Amino acid sequence: MTQPRIEYEKLTAGYEFVPTSFKLDSRMVMAYLKAVEDNNRIYKEDKIAPPMAIAALAMAALSSGLDLPPGAIHVSQELEFINTAHIDEMLTSYARVNRKVERGKFHMLSIGIHVENQKKTTVITGETSFILPLS
Amino acid sequence: MRLPELKRLVTQEHINLYAEASRDFNPIHIDAEFARQTPLGGTIAHGMLILSYISQLMTNSFGESWLGTGKLSARFKAPARPGDTITVSGKITKMQKDEGSISIYCDVACQNQRNEPVIIGETKVRVKA
Repeated sequence: MTQPRIEYEKLTAGYEFVPTSFKLDSRMVMAYLKAVEDNNRIYKEDKIAPPMAIAALAMAALSSGLDLPPGAIHVSQELEFINTAHIDEMLTSYARVNRKVERGKFHMLSIGIHVENQKKTTVITGETSFILPLS
Repeated sequence: MRLPELKRLVTQEHINLYAEASRDFNPIHIDAEFARQTPLGGTIAHGMLILSYISQLMTNSFGESWLGTGKLSARFKAPARPGDTITVSGKITKMQKDEGSISIYCDVACQNQRNEPVIIGETKVRVKA
């Protein structure tokens, strides 16, 4: 799930991170459900993967390819759940820099995220934004 | 109309489990000694962990409709720390009938035990009419 790391300074709007594939194995999903104390039967009986677990893995994939300076703060998150995914499915996460702007004393970085299943059907889309102190 | 509230006690054990599950091992979440030396003064929960509580709230109220049509827009206002009790609330603000479905819009929030906002946001879910 690792990819080449890029430093924040080298990022430009439109930069596309290397797509990352991951399997939604049941061990990971069970660990996630325990961590967030989610006992909803829908995940155990229907084997649906919690979309926030998928989003977490997509974020981890992004983090593995991005070197943010110290002091970076995750300020906002948008997510849209387009289709459900099931445990043991293989998914691929895509990420792209949507905006890199200065706002007052901070830099702001917004990255679009898109997760597909093996049939190329979109599962989740979203955008994550960080503010960073000016160096 | 208000959605049934959730309450969650954030513990370091939950944060560590979340780090394992999400593969996010940033030391600010899991390394007490490292975190003590930062301006935050101690470990904090992953923002996505706390955000997942909002998704739980929505799943509890709207079931599979949320998992397949949900939309969430959230702002992180303050970190959640081990020992914090997070209250997760939601309120329906608008219902709009579309072709064969109803779109339900909600304001959602996570607050700590001091009533400080940790996350605020809006959701939308489509249910069958």
